[in-house]
Amino acid sequence: MRKLLIVLIIAGFLAPLLSSAAFAAGEPPKDLMKGIITQVDAQQRTVSFTKDNGEVMTLTLPEKMATADVAINKKVMISLDKHAGPGVIKDVDQMFMDMTVSKGVALLLVGLIGGLLSGFIGSGGAFVLTPAMMSLGAPGAVAVATNMCHKFPKALVGTYKRFKYGQVDLKLAAVMGVTAIIGVQFGIKMQKYILNTYGNAGSNLYVSVIFVAVLVLVGGYVFFDAYKLAKGGDSEKASKLALRLQKMELWPMMEFKVAKVRISAWVTVPVGLATGLLAATIAVGGFIGVPGMIYVVGASAMVASATELGIAFMMGAWGSVQWGMSGLIDIRLALLLLSTSLIGVQLGALGTTYVKDYMIKLVMASVMLVVAVSRGAMIPGYLAALGLREALDKGTAGFLDSLSFWTLVAALGLSGLIITIAMVVGMMKDRAEKKMVTAVSHG
Amino acid sequence: MAITKFDQHAMAATFAEAGERDSAQEMLAGTGTGAQRKQPHKPTPAKKPYLSTLVLGTLSLVAYYYVFTNEKLVTDVFTRGGIYAIWPLSTALFVSFIHGAFGSNLLSLLGLEAKKAH
Repeated sequence: MRKLLIVLIIAGFLAPLLSSAAFAAGEPPKDLMKGIITQVDAQQRTVSFTKDNGEVMTLTLPEKMATADVAINKKVMISLDKHAGPGVIKDVDQMFMDMTVSKGVALLLVGLIGGLLSGFIGSGGAFVLTPAMMSLGAPGAVAVATNMCHKFPKALVGTYKRFKYGQVDLKLAAVMGVTAIIGVQFGIKMQKYILNTYGNAGSNLYVSVIFVAVLVLVGGYVFFDAYKLAKGGDSEKASKLALRLQKMELWPMMEFKVAKVRISAWVTVPVGLATGLLAATIAVGGFIGVPGMIYVVGASAMVASATELGIAFMMGAWGSVQWGMSGLIDIRLALLLLSTSLIGVQLGALGTTYVKDYMIKLVMASVMLVVAVSRGAMIPGYLAALGLREALDKGTAGFLDSLSFWTLVAALGLSGLIITIAMVVGMMKDRAEKKMVTAVSHG
Repeated sequence: MAITKFDQHAMAATFAEAGERDSAQEMLAGTGTGAQRKQPHKPTPAKKPYLSTLVLGTLSLVAYYYVFTNEKLVTDVFTRGGIYAIWPLSTALFVSFIHGAFGSNLLSLLGLEAKKAH
């Protein structure tokens, strides 16, 4: 098992380096450049720009940009306006935001709850961490890259902890991890096509529709299932679909000892592909991966959520190497998130030993349904931006923005609360049981 | 929990009534082996990892301090792309190992551990 774990780790890092075609972030667009602006000429409205490779260029500022707003001696990402002529700047984005105490504290808090959620349900956190970093001032690409860099060590720690509790099926993680990585490639290619064809608004709409559809359908089903188990008190059984698929004798049949499942490897392929696709689209593959392992493969919620951490590690390592090669990781943000998420993920992991299986499903479903509302609130705005509906008035747009933000905060808060209460109740029951056992053995 | 004198006498009486005179006498004398009820094994409480938590916490703090007092380095050199990717990735891994271990010890110190099977 240890050898398999080591092989997984090395494969996670080497695979993208060995394949030039596997550049998940894609080739950077030619009119996007990273570097430092060293001088601004206010009269000529030009800047002296040193690219990362050392090449020095003189670029022209657009009319709408004031020279005083240009950040000097800070790493920036410049996009050029192809239509305005050669060397004319379209946008200048400061890549790495100035850190303040309040931003640091916000990242610590978000990291803690994101980690708690990851440790408990095997995924999640990413859907709040990326928007959280963006709302603090990180450009989208830096937020995604930094989230990846934070995700893979956290997932490694979570996997290790839950492996010690006997919950991780390493073989299942490895088999699904391979197809998940392929799914990530497809997902990114799809994203880039939509972005190039329909622009940012189209891309945002695509992401939001996928979010809402998956979260409502899957989240609703998982919630219903958890509710049935909680009410009925039945021990968790594999779904009818999983049992039927397990009976299919299609080579190669694989035995997953920890998940206690014997199933054709072909069944894991669509689940792995869908996990990777979703990870590339909405940054949380686990919302398909975990229910997929439960209802299609037939693993328990405990094993599915633990194994998902192993898959998240592989995808995170893969993505991190590639984003790192693009120079987009802000290690300061990643480390701030890690400082609390590494504790949160261990807390969430040990919390799973105190709760019944259905509690994991309940937390996952609750988070999914609340986040669906958050994303759904943004759809009217994206439809208006694409001209598919009339423009929203300022008041409505502002209200929907706030609704989206606060429901996201509610999703994090709610999940943190449910997990904490479930853990505390479970720990208190365990201590009471231990006292009783001690009293009986001495009585 | 130690066996009280009352327990000893009660056991001795039981053995005496059963005709085990010798065992009863041993019990009253405060000795005895097989007849004496075995003490339940008290597991020695695990040592709290105070020292390792302190060491790891200090190392972690030093690593964070170094990164945040060298912001120019990490936002410039670390983000040059290509082979320079090794810097942010190895930093994330290195800090995670130390800080993760610190976190694990901290939770143990706080008494927060996984449930053990009874």
